[in-house]
Amino acid sequence: MKKIIQSTIYGSLAVLVLLGSGCKKDYQNPNAATAAQVLNSAKGLMGTAIGIQRTYSLNVAPGIADANGFVTNEIILRNSGNTSEFQLSIGGTAVDGTNALLGNIWISANKCIYDANNVINGASLLADKGYASGLIGYSSIIKALSIGSLSMFWEKIPDTVGTAATGFVDRVQGFNRAIATIDKALAAISANAISTGFTADLPAGIEIVNTLNALKARYSLYAGNYAGALATANLVDLSKKSTFNFDAAIANPIYATATSTNNLYQPIDSTLGLPAILAPDLADKRIPFYTTINATINPRYRLNGFWIAATTPIPVYFPGEIILIKAECYARQASPDLTNAVIELNKVVTKEAANDVLGIGADLAAVAPATKDEVLLEVYRNRCIELFLSGLKLEDMRRFERPLTERKRNLFPYPFRERDGNLNTPADPAF
Amino acid sequence: MELNQFHRPGNLKIFLLLLALNMVAACSFAQVTITGKVTGKGGNQTDGISGISVMLKGTRIGESTDNSGAYKLSSPLKPGNYIIVFSGVGYQTAEIPLSIGIASNYTVDINLTEKVASMDEVIVTGTSAGTTRRQLGSYVSTVKADDLTKGATGNVLAALQGKTAGAQISQNSGDPAGGISVRLRGISSIGSSSEPLYIIDGVIVNNGTNRVTNTQSGYDGVNVVGAVGQSRLVDLNPADIESVEVLNGAAAAAIYGSRANAGVVQIFTKMGKAGAAKITFSTSLITSSLRKKLDVNQSPTKFGGPTDGVGALTQDVIQAPLATTTTAVTRYDYQDYIFRNALGTDNNVAISGGTDKTKYYVSGSYFNNQGIIKNTDFNRYSFRANIDQVLNKWATFNIGLNYINSSANEKPDGNSFYSPMNSVTIIGNFHNIQQRDILGNIKAVGERGRANPVSVIEDIKQKQTTNRVISNIGLKLKPVKHLSIDYTMGIDNYTQNGTTYIPPFAYNVSTAFWGGGATLDPTQNGYSSVGNNNFFAINHDVNATYNIDISSKINSVTQVGFSQQYEKNNYSLLQGRGLAPFVQTVNGASTILPGVDERSEISISGFFVQQNFKYRNQFFVTGAIRQDGSSVFGKNQRNQVYTKASGSYVISGADFWRNLGVSKWWDLAKVRVAYGESGNLTGIGAYSRFNTYASSSFISRTSLNSSGTLANEDVKPERQKELEFGVDLSFLKSRLGLTLNVYNKKVSDLLIDRFIAPSSGFSSLKDNFGSLENKGFEVVVTGKPAATKNLQWDVTAIFNHNRNKAINIGQALNLLSTNAGAPVAIIQGQPIGVFYGTFFATDANGNQIKNTSGIPQIEKGTQNSTLVYTPARDANGLPTATATTLRRIIGNPNPDYTASFVNELIYKKLGLRIQIDAVQGVDVFNADFRTRQGVGNGKVAEQEQRGLIPRGYITGIYAIEEWRIADGSYVKLREISLSYNLGKIKSISNLSINLSGRNLISWDNYNGYDPEVNAGGQSTLLRGIDFGAVPIPRTFSIGINAQF
Repeated sequence: MKKIIQSTIYGSLAVLVLLGSGCKKDYQNPNAATAAQVLNSAKGLMGTAIGIQRTYSLNVAPGIADANGFVTNEIILRNSGNTSEFQLSIGGTAVDGTNALLGNIWISANKCIYDANNVINGASLLADKGYASGLIGYSSIIKALSIGSLSMFWEKIPDTVGTAATGFVDRVQGFNRAIATIDKALAAISANAISTGFTADLPAGIEIVNTLNALKARYSLYAGNYAGALATANLVDLSKKSTFNFDAAIANPIYATATSTNNLYQPIDSTLGLPAILAPDLADKRIPFYTTINATINPRYRLNGFWIAATTPIPVYFPGEIILIKAECYARQASPDLTNAVIELNKVVTKEAANDVLGIGADLAAVAPATKDEVLLEVYRNRCIELFLSGLKLEDMRRFERPLTERKRNLFPYPFRERDGNLNTPADPAF
Repeated sequence: MELNQFHRPGNLKIFLLLLALNMVAACSFAQVTITGKVTGKGGNQTDGISGISVMLKGTRIGESTDNSGAYKLSSPLKPGNYIIVFSGVGYQTAEIPLSIGIASNYTVDINLTEKVASMDEVIVTGTSAGTTRRQLGSYVSTVKADDLTKGATGNVLAALQGKTAGAQISQNSGDPAGGISVRLRGISSIGSSSEPLYIIDGVIVNNGTNRVTNTQSGYDGVNVVGAVGQSRLVDLNPADIESVEVLNGAAAAAIYGSRANAGVVQIFTKMGKAGAAKITFSTSLITSSLRKKLDVNQSPTKFGGPTDGVGALTQDVIQAPLATTTTAVTRYDYQDYIFRNALGTDNNVAISGGTDKTKYYVSGSYFNNQGIIKNTDFNRYSFRANIDQVLNKWATFNIGLNYINSSANEKPDGNSFYSPMNSVTIIGNFHNIQQRDILGNIKAVGERGRANPVSVIEDIKQKQTTNRVISNIGLKLKPVKHLSIDYTMGIDNYTQNGTTYIPPFAYNVSTAFWGGGATLDPTQNGYSSVGNNNFFAINHDVNATYNIDISSKINSVTQVGFSQQYEKNNYSLLQGRGLAPFVQTVNGASTILPGVDERSEISISGFFVQQNFKYRNQFFVTGAIRQDGSSVFGKNQRNQVYTKASGSYVISGADFWRNLGVSKWWDLAKVRVAYGESGNLTGIGAYSRFNTYASSSFISRTSLNSSGTLANEDVKPERQKELEFGVDLSFLKSRLGLTLNVYNKKVSDLLIDRFIAPSSGFSSLKDNFGSLENKGFEVVVTGKPAATKNLQWDVTAIFNHNRNKAINIGQALNLLSTNAGAPVAIIQGQPIGVFYGTFFATDANGNQIKNTSGIPQIEKGTQNSTLVYTPARDANGLPTATATTLRRIIGNPNPDYTASFVNELIYKKLGLRIQIDAVQGVDVFNADFRTRQGVGNGKVAEQEQRGLIPRGYITGIYAIEEWRIADGSYVKLREISLSYNLGKIKSISNLSINLSGRNLISWDNYNGYDPEVNAGGQSTLLRGIDFGAVPIPRTFSIGINAQF
């Protein structure tokens, strides 16, 4: 008995010592892949590119629609308890560096640029060039959109995303960088056509080459390169569309936060936020496209269009936008071609929903503006209606030199999250 | 074990030989029996005291007293001089000399004194042999069983409230299993939990908060919610506890391992005593109710149109454009609907006893308590068996097994707007919530898609169940003289399962609240989830102690120890929305939402050497060094060395003291100093140091996203250094005692997810930055104003002050976005977690500046730095409209001081205990207060509707965050307990009746229910936030306790 006890005791102590010496401290993380694993494989890069679309379409795109919508008067606030939106609905100095909505746009857009750079760099090292060109094209779309979004909202944008304390460059340079990103992507695609293997992996909705051209046209226009914008706009196949898709599990973000809650924002009314003189014709079928009327429950005008259901896709660009770019470029080019400008403008004014790949159609009688200013005013008005709540109106208001009283902010203050961590952050604009 | 050998068959020769040897031995060792009775002064213990250890000094012969205080030692002993040592928790150790001669029976009775400052009380440091309070260089407080079970609570942490110095224990939610946070000497970390390490009988137990319910991603999103829900120590049955030791400081680290940076709470469960089986039975009935009801808006009108249906306008007070027309309304008080008077019972039965060799304690318990929110409750079944077995002269073995099944019917957490509290807070009190349509369906409340409180109370079902086993095995060996070795293995294993069911709503509920929106979208309407968390932890501790008297005056104790810990946690979640009717499981969901599957493993190991010298029981020094390694940190930083040193000097034990005049009335004077270092080896997640890409399902593809946090893969554990000075004094034969502790606790290499410029590609950087400091003092005064045969009166007063601040965090401001909208900040040089935000413009006299309409204004001007600003005024003396909105620290959730005051009176058989707790100089961010005014159910809204304040007043100040800051100071009648001891009645050896109350009265100026609240749960950073949390109820309990 004594022996048994003794040997048990010593035995267990020995086991314990063995346990102790064998104590393992290096565990693999089964929950997630490391950066090195992800960025050195084609599938890993594809997943990352899809992740960038996710971040952009769930954070940046709805964020700019929201912030832009408030400061350009497109939407009204439903609940003053939403602090960020409350600031934006008042505008001016009420909007400050604490604004979480603007902060989220800034953080997410920078994140997209950072990860898109990783994908573009990683793809260029892949042996499968057809897959690589697809990856470069796809992630360049989001990269260009992210740079473009920052450039539409802030006076200066980070020079080198991904470094500790980057300097800043002018927003116009931002548009040019977006264009350069697209040019590189187009070059990669023309060198090696996108493989069917890549297309099979690509989420539904995105049409790469047309989107690259459409965005190049958009940012060329913003950068004042009218010849370039017109040339590129002509390359866009208007029978195609490109959309950010959602499903019931990851719902359309504007539907999820605004339409279905009725607690964030709703369209201002049938003017879509335009001053009386520019307000859409009440027969304009784009009003019922974008808004719906609820006769019983406040408010009367409700979101419709691309925000009506959980699974409604949101377009990346609009055929109507491309047509209006052409009209504007004809009018603005060094020697204005008002005839062609009006022809293009009227393509939008008279467009029937059935003939638009997105189903947007004013279906009005043709207009006949006579002077360049009149043409541009009509282009502006139609952009505001055709591209309602797309986040592009603030840039238009500046480009078309609308009076400051029509908007609540011209450019946004830099988020404190950037200023607190980067001494190079420029001073905030006064308005 | 010689005796056993006699029974071995076939060993007759040996038997005869041994018999012969025994007879020889009998010549020098006579069988001696020492009997006696141990009694104690005071209270119910004028009879015998059970459980007192009786040892023959210098031998292994020992026993403990039975129920009647009697003991019997039987052993062969040589004639000579012996010393009998009587010791037990709460009593002064007594040493009685005994001369053994030729007689075989001796009687030694003793009356032990229960010292107020129990200097010789045994303190069990580590899993090792223990020490006395006299020797300790650092402060350890002890709470005994009696004090834990009279407070009308089934939660051991709640029972500890106000009973230990240096601890701020707050109940974060009034739910029947509401989480409780314990902060010993302030918070000890920023990035990780500041909860102390909990050890039950040597088992490191998990007090984690796992979200198996409230699993919806929607309501927190990008915001910080905190750690909401039950904290797992709720599984412990307080009736099983013998005593609790609380070690506030890092000086304990050498023994407890470097997970002890936030202090240690050691819990010891009851052990059997040799003697006849003793049966203890107790049962009590608990009633809980809402302590304070809020006044609601009674205005007969609202602004604008109707409340429901066509043209409904809710949030009439603030909805722009401000309506000036009014509509007559009926006002309701929804508090009457969601709250109830709740009932509960607490039943315990325990059997204990044993023989010289085997002792046991076995208990069973059933606790059931309803919440004051309708349809919420908590149930706990617990079984425990503690067995002690003497194996031979030099080895004993013990095993403890505790099985717990706890379950709770919950309602969604307050951080959501479909929780009982917030569903009421977020609507105007002018909807008839009970109204139903012709099909019997509950109707919408207003036009905004809010959840009707009736749906929340009646339809939403949320339940969680935990099955848990906590077990320990121990072996104590004394293989050779002076040396003892003990080994403890502990296992804590639990499975926690939670289910949530939000049935599809029959009316417009926002998709953000899991409704289907106005169209009742079938893909969105309703939510179901099941969450599972499996936790397993095992710890092995081996300690060897070598105790030797180097000379007659100097004693040396050398300890070496090794500890290994392993933890595994698997969490999984299935969830979906858009539910089929009647199906409550995720199977009924038309839209399966992304699930969660998180697995982690952690291993920690460490060893230590500790040396202690004792000089004449007056002067004590201890030094220790410890090395620890944890798998959560990278290879280069894995092994950390920590040191500790402490010393104490009992001046009153010195020879000169006895000759001083003061010694007549001054019994004890002790000074002590302790220094200790510790780390937080579980300070970051198992894999937090890796930079990874998280995967998730996105439109039928897998998306990979880099984290928002860039981790330094070479991050190291935080290091805490604490210096503590203390004095223990006692006067007038221990009728007055004073303990004073002063400490400076500094945590360096602070682990922070510090915000960095997002242009870097990341939002935050996980690294070691700066430090954190807690400076403070603790005072404990004990007194015995009366000590007569019939009346015993004990008074204890505890006062704690702690000042916490962030140092060199390398960044002026870290401002968190929280779910409740509380602007929680970490600011250089300021206490952690202050509220930093916009504030009222005031004039030179501190009065609010109002515009011509009489509406207070938000302060504007130039923000020179985080804490410095220059207000700007326009020509009318109002804040300049175009200037920047200013921010400053508007509130601090860290109290100036906490205190408690306990009076215990025993008059004959009647006992009365009154405990008053105070928390002073603390602010609460009352998010609900503003919401009540904004939606129009609050009293300020009533004033605006009645025209007592200008129209637009609430809108005008809505953005001023300071408006939501409220004074959270309180003084509470925490516990009151009246007991009557009927003594022996027939077969019942002792019967007592107990009437208790808890949280009966709160003296405060708080503008909500109860300032003791935290919507951030057990979070380290988010404190003092009132956002939909259930208030702590007022509880009464009546019970009986019988011993057989």
